[in-house]
Amino acid sequence: MIILGFSFMLACNESPYMQGKRLYVANCQNCHMEDGSGLAKLVPSLQESALLGSPVIACIIKNGIQDTIRNDQTFLVKEMPAFGKLSATEITNITNYINHSWYKNFKETNITEIESALKNCP
Amino acid sequence: MSPFKLIFSMLCLTAIACNDSPTELPYLGNKVIENGKEIYHTVGQFNHYNQDSVLMTNKDFAEYIYVADFFFTSCPSICPKVAKEMLRIHDALKDDPQVKVVSFTIDPIRDTPQRLKLYGDNLGIDHKKWIFLTGDKDATLDLAATYFVAALEDADAPGGFDHSGKIVLIDKQGHVRSFSEGTDPSTTPKLIEDIKKLSASYTHPK
Repeated sequence: MIILGFSFMLACNESPYMQGKRLYVANCQNCHMEDGSGLAKLVPSLQESALLGSPVIACIIKNGIQDTIRNDQTFLVKEMPAFGKLSATEITNITNYINHSWYKNFKETNITEIESALKNCP
Repeated sequence: MSPFKLIFSMLCLTAIACNDSPTELPYLGNKVIENGKEIYHTVGQFNHYNQDSVLMTNKDFAEYIYVADFFFTSCPSICPKVAKEMLRIHDALKDDPQVKVVSFTIDPIRDTPQRLKLYGDNLGIDHKKWIFLTGDKDATLDLAATYFVAALEDADAPGGFDHSGKIVLIDKQGHVRSFSEGTDPSTTPKLIEDIKKLSASYTHPK
């Protein structure tokens, strides 16, 4: 019973998207932080991001953001490096990890959805 | 064991050994002989522009104690983590006018004063308290060594520079008195304590 309880606790603390978590740690965590809180207005927080659950997230991971124009009151510098080397599978894993961690209406994304999102990037 | 780790563990031991008495912070680095006099290690000279394009030198900090780090704004690796700790220090010491926070960019080609200003705006900092400095690249890389911070150009490193994330405390005479690992948030409270201790030593000299 105790062992069962422990394994249940462990299971709750571990994200079911371990591959996505590893990729997040390697590629995203330095800026977006372990808890996704980001850094002031410099690095947007993922916790409250309006982009959670949106397929646009795949395009941002793949192509980054380059917009240094001071025209937005919320973010003065919009800049994120592109992670062009990541495959659609890896982007799917990261997307699922991020959404599972911080998106209230979490729904699993599959690779077909990510592939089609990547084809339609702006 | 690296000399830094050794010094740091020695610092910790001292702190544990005498946690009640307000001991003086140690002087880090080797003493040098100058004009027949032994003096403590002093950080190098700089001529750098701040985020308002005003030229600043060591003399501008003679009335202040400051923490310094070396970074660049487009750094994809450790910089945001270190910036988060610098921000903690900036916030913790915001009411002590004797304390400044200084960030040297090691990427002056991209990090113009205007860009540094934007970076500071995004961090929501007081530009009078947190000074960003940009200047000659090679001079800055050499300068970093005198702050005991490793910084070098490396095409294979993320963003083109390889550097350590140390945050270093400098006294009014330019001596290195304490440091923390900017990449390890658990080392920040000790540094904040040391800053307060050093600041108090000027306000209430023994």
